[in-house]
Amino acid sequence: MNKFYTTLLAATMSATALGMVFPAVAIAESVLRIDEVAVGELDPAKASDYADSILMFNVYDTLILPQQGGPGQVPHLAKSWSSDGNSYTFELRDDVKFQSGNPMTAEDVVFSLDRMKALGQGLSFLFADVQSAEALGPNTVRFNLAQPYAPFVASLLRLPIVDKQTVMANLGDGEGEMKDWGQVYLSANGAGTGAYMVNAHNPQDETVMVKNGDYFIGVPDVAPHTVRLRYGLEAATVRALIASGEHDISSQWLPPEVLRALADDGAQLLTEAGTGAFYVKMNTTKAPFDDVHCRLAVTNAFDYGAAVKMIAVTDEISQGSPSTGAVPVGMFGANPADQILVRDMEAAKAHLSACAYAPEDINIELSWIAEVPLEERFALLMQANFAELGISSEIRKLPWALFTEQVSTPENTPDISQLFVNAVTGDPDTLLFGQYNSANAGTWQSPEYLKDDEVDRLLAEGRTAPTEAGRQEAYAALNARLMAIAPTIYGFDRQSVFAASNRVKVPALSDPDKAFGLDGMGFSFRLMEMTE
Amino acid sequence: MTSLVRVLLSRLLTSFIVLIGVSMLIFFIARVIPGDPARIALGPNASPEQVLVLREALRLDESIIVQYGYFIADLARGDLGISLYTNRPVTTDIAQFLPATLELVFVAGLMMIFIGLPLGILAARYRGRWIDHTVRLISLLGVSAPSFVWAVILMMTFAFILPVFPIAGRISDSYTIPVASGFLFIDTLLAGNLRAFANAGWHIILPAFALALSGIGQAARLTRANMVETYDKPYIEMARSYGFPEKRIANRYAFRPSLIPSLTIIGLDFAAMLGNAFLVEAVFAWPGLSRYGVAVILRKDLNAIVGTVLIISAAFLIVNIIVDVLIAIINPRIRHSQRPK
Amino acid sequence: MRRTLAILVGNPLSLLGLFLVGIVIFSAVFADFIAPFPEHRGAVVDFANFNQPPAWPNIFGTDLVGRDLFSRILYAYRISLVLGVVVLSIATPIGVIVGLVAGYVGGKTEYVLMRITDVFLSIPPLVLAMAIMGVLEPTLTNGMLAVTSMWWPWYARLVYNLTRSEKEEGYVLAAEVIGASRAYIIFREILPNCVPAIITKMTLDFGFVIIIASSLSFLGLGVQPPTPDLGSMVAGGASYLPDSWWLTLFPALAILIAVFGFNLIGDALREILGADQ
Repeated sequence: MNKFYTTLLAATMSATALGMVFPAVAIAESVLRIDEVAVGELDPAKASDYADSILMFNVYDTLILPQQGGPGQVPHLAKSWSSDGNSYTFELRDDVKFQSGNPMTAEDVVFSLDRMKALGQGLSFLFADVQSAEALGPNTVRFNLAQPYAPFVASLLRLPIVDKQTVMANLGDGEGEMKDWGQVYLSANGAGTGAYMVNAHNPQDETVMVKNGDYFIGVPDVAPHTVRLRYGLEAATVRALIASGEHDISSQWLPPEVLRALADDGAQLLTEAGTGAFYVKMNTTKAPFDDVHCRLAVTNAFDYGAAVKMIAVTDEISQGSPSTGAVPVGMFGANPADQILVRDMEAAKAHLSACAYAPEDINIELSWIAEVPLEERFALLMQANFAELGISSEIRKLPWALFTEQVSTPENTPDISQLFVNAVTGDPDTLLFGQYNSANAGTWQSPEYLKDDEVDRLLAEGRTAPTEAGRQEAYAALNARLMAIAPTIYGFDRQSVFAASNRVKVPALSDPDKAFGLDGMGFSFRLMEMTE
Repeated sequence: MTSLVRVLLSRLLTSFIVLIGVSMLIFFIARVIPGDPARIALGPNASPEQVLVLREALRLDESIIVQYGYFIADLARGDLGISLYTNRPVTTDIAQFLPATLELVFVAGLMMIFIGLPLGILAARYRGRWIDHTVRLISLLGVSAPSFVWAVILMMTFAFILPVFPIAGRISDSYTIPVASGFLFIDTLLAGNLRAFANAGWHIILPAFALALSGIGQAARLTRANMVETYDKPYIEMARSYGFPEKRIANRYAFRPSLIPSLTIIGLDFAAMLGNAFLVEAVFAWPGLSRYGVAVILRKDLNAIVGTVLIISAAFLIVNIIVDVLIAIINPRIRHSQRPK
Repeated sequence: MRRTLAILVGNPLSLLGLFLVGIVIFSAVFADFIAPFPEHRGAVVDFANFNQPPAWPNIFGTDLVGRDLFSRILYAYRISLVLGVVVLSIATPIGVIVGLVAGYVGGKTEYVLMRITDVFLSIPPLVLAMAIMGVLEPTLTNGMLAVTSMWWPWYARLVYNLTRSEKEEGYVLAAEVIGASRAYIIFREILPNCVPAIITKMTLDFGFVIIIASSLSFLGLGVQPPTPDLGSMVAGGASYLPDSWWLTLFPALAILIAVFGFNLIGDALREILGADQ
C-alpha cells in the first residue's frame, strides 16, 4: 500500500514537473470544505456526536478499524490481537509516530483509556466494564474486563489514542497528580497520530485541518490537502454555497427538500447507512403511556408510510427505509427487510379501548428537538395521526441541551420524545443497551424509563453470549419483546444523506463495498479524492 | 469646555448607575430559569456527582444575593465566568463574536447617516413635491417591517434572483486573513490585502442595508421635519430677503440646527440595531453575537446570557454618551437636561 | 374625533392605511369564513400535497406538511392582533402611571422611577424580550408578558416628559392653589391632556408590537406549532430558499402589509394631533 502511494506520488510529481502548465499548487493545496452542527469537540474523552466523530477519525487513530464493506474489524494501530476470556491482548505497530514526533507505544494506549475513564464523559460508558489496561511491553497492551463483554473489540473504535508525553507537558490547572488531565490543551489542540493535523480550532466556528505528511500508512496525493470543517451553517447558506462551488459536502441534517434541490442542480448525493434508526419514545412512567395498550394504540396509529415518504430525497435515495422493528435491518436480531411495519387503525382502536385511560382524558406532550427541524414535521404527523383516535396533543420544541436536562427525572420527561439513535460502534449492544436497560433509564437515549426484566435479561445475554449465533438469538428475542411491550414507535431505519459538489469523490460514502458501517468513518479524509 | 466635561461626567455617572441596574435586572432574570443549569451544561452522560461538583463550582446553592455579590466581584476583575455551552470564558466568546456584530452595526449606522440625512434634506427642500412624497413613503415602508423581513426580501432579490451580492458570511472562503482586531475591515488592511478588504465590503452591503432600512427611514423623516420647522423660522426669511443662495441657506441655516435631533435619534436607533442585528445575522449567517446569543439563551447558559446582555447594553450606553458629547460640541447651548428623548 | 376621521379618509396615504388595516382586521376576525382550509390552522398533514408552489386552490402554496399557506396567514393575523391589543392594554396603563407619578411628584420618587425606566430602556428591546423568553416557556401568554415588560418604559418616558411640562401650566397651578389632591390633579387635570399623544403612540406602536412579536418567534422564542405565526413561518421557510420561496415570501409580505397599514394611520394621526414627541 505504502509503496503504491509513493509511486503514485512520484508519478504525479514528475508529471507536474514536466508540464508546468498546470499550476502545481492546485493539487498540493486542494481544500475540502464541509460542515456540521456546532460545536466541534476535539477532546477524545468528550467527543460523542457526529462532528466530534469526524474530528476523532481524522486527527486520531484507533487500534482497529471497521472492515470496509462488511462486518468485523481490521488491524490499524494494532497489528493483531487475541482474547483470553476476560482479557484482550493487542500487539501494536512499532512504526507509528504521533504528530508531535513522539513514538506511539503501549503507554499511550493505557493513558488514553485511563483518561477516558477518569473524565467519565463522552463515550466513556463503553468502557465501564474495562477494569484496567496495562502495558506488557513497549508494543504490547492488555485490557482486563470485569465480566464478559462481546462487543469489546468494536468499542475500541471509540478509543482514540492520545499522545501521553504531549498531554503531560501541557497539563492545565487542577487538583491531584493529573491536574486537569490536559482538558484545556486537548480542547483546542490535537495530540494524535491521525492523517490530519489540527491547524486552527474554534468549536463554534470552524476547524481547519491539514494533511500529516508523516502519516504511518501515508496519505494519498489526491486526498485533500486542507480540510475546513465549518459549524452551524444554515441550510439555505449551504444550499447556495454548494451551488456556487464554494462548499463541498453538506451535513446530513439538511431537510430532504434542500437535498433534492441540490441534486437537481447537479450535486452528487452521498449516503451512509445501517447503524441507526429514528425512535419515537414514550414515557412509560406517566399516564397514558404507563398502560401498554395505550402505547400499542399509538404505535399502530402512526403512519409509517407517510414517515418514509416525508424523508425521500429522490426516487432512489431516501434519508431512511421502512422500519421492521426495534433493530435496524442488517444488524443482529433484525427482522427481514420485507416485514415492514404498517399503520393499522383497527388494531389501534382495539388497543385504545383496552387502555385504562379514555381518549378524551388524554393530552399528550409531543416534543421535538429544536436542532432537527424535520422532527417538527413528525410531531405534526403524530398530532394528526393521534387525533384520528380522538387523542389530543400539544407540540413542544425543546433545544437539545434542555431536553437532556428534562429527561433526568421521569416527571419532567415529555410524553413523547423523538430521537435518532446510532450504534456508536456499529454493534447492536451500543444501540440497544443504553436505550432499554433499566439501570440506564433517564439518559437522553432512554426517556422511556423502561423497566422490564425480560428486556434486561436479553440485553445481558446479547453482550455476554460467547458465540455469534447466541448473540443473534438473544437480539432476535429482544426485538420481539420490544415490539410486544412497545415502549417506542420504531419510525424508520436511518440513512444519512449528504449533498456534495463534484470536486470530490468519496468511495466510502458512495460505494457499498467501501462503506465502513460506522457513522462518521466515511469522513476519513485520507480516503477521499479531490478531482480538481 | 467645562460644560462639555460636566455633560460627560453626568452622563457617565447616570450610565454607570443604569448599568448596575441592568446587571441586577438581567442577573435576576437569568437566575429564575427553571431547570438545573449544571445538568444542562454537563450534557447527556454526566453522573449526579459531576452535577453536584459543578453546582458547587457555580455557587448555585447559595442565595441569589450572595451569587450576585460574587458576580459583581468577578465582574470588577473583568471576569464574566465560564460559558457552560462553549466551556470557554464568556469574555473570550464575546470578544470573538462582538467585532462582527459591531462592524455590521457600524456600517448600518453610516448608511443611516449618509442615506437618511440626504433623503431628509431633499424632501424638505422639495416639500410637497413628488420627491417629498416618495421619501415619506420609503421611510414609512422602512419602519414597517422587522429587519429579518427586509433581510429575506433583499436576499431573495439581490442574491438569488439577481446574484450580484454574496448570500452569506463576512468574506469569501478563499481569503485567509490573520485575526488581529477581529474587525475584518481593519484586519484586511493590516494584512495589506485590498482585494480582501473589498470582498469584505461586498459581503457587508446587503446585511447592513437590511439592518439600516428602518433607521434610514427614521433619520430621513426626522431631518425633514426639523428642516421644515427651521425653514419657517424668521431668520431664514431674513437670509432669503438678503438674497443668500438657496444652497447656502439649506446647508447653513436649515440643516445645522436640525442635525441635533437627528443625531439623538441615531443614538437611540443604535440600540435597536444592536438588537435587530440578531435577526439579520440569522438570515445572512453572519458570524456575530447573534448565533451565540440565541444558542446560549436556548441552552439556559446563565453566565453567557448575563454577559451578552450586559455587553450589548454597555455598547448602547457608550454610543449614547458619544452622541450627547457630539451634540454638546455642535451646539454648546444645549444643556443635557434639555436633551429630547 | 369626527374631524380626525374625515382628515384620515381625505388623505390618500392614510386612506391606504385604513384600507390595509381594514383587510388585516377583517381577515383576523372572519378567518373562519374566508380561509379556504380553516382546519389547516392546526395539526393537519397532507403529504400528498406538501411543499407545492402557489396554484389553485392553494393560492399561496402549501407548507412542508401540506397545509394551505393562505389559510394559515389569515389565522396568524388573529394571533398578532390579539397579542398587540393585550400588550398595549397592559403596558400603556403601567407606563402612564409611572410617568405621571414620576413627573408630578418629583424628588426621590422621580429619581428612582426614572432610573428604573432607564434601566429597561438601556437594554435593546429585542434583547430584553429574548432574555425573558429564554427563561420562560414559549407560549402566547409568556410572549405577551415578555413584550409588555419591554414596552411600558416607553410610555413612562413619554408621559413623564409631558407631565413635566404640563406641571408648570396655569391650570395645574390653579388646582394646587385651591387645594386639590395630588391624585385629582394627576388623573383629572394632567392625564386628559396627555391622551392625544398616548393614543397616537398606541396606533404607531401597534405595528411595532407586531414587529417585535414576530421577531421573537423568528428567533424561535415565540408561539409554538401548530399555531400559525408569521415570524416562525418566515424562519422555518428561510431554510428552503430559494427553491421554496413561497414559504418565506408570503408571510414576510403579510407582516409588511399589516405594519405598514398601522404606520400609515399612526403617521397621519401624529400630524393631525400634532403630538410629535
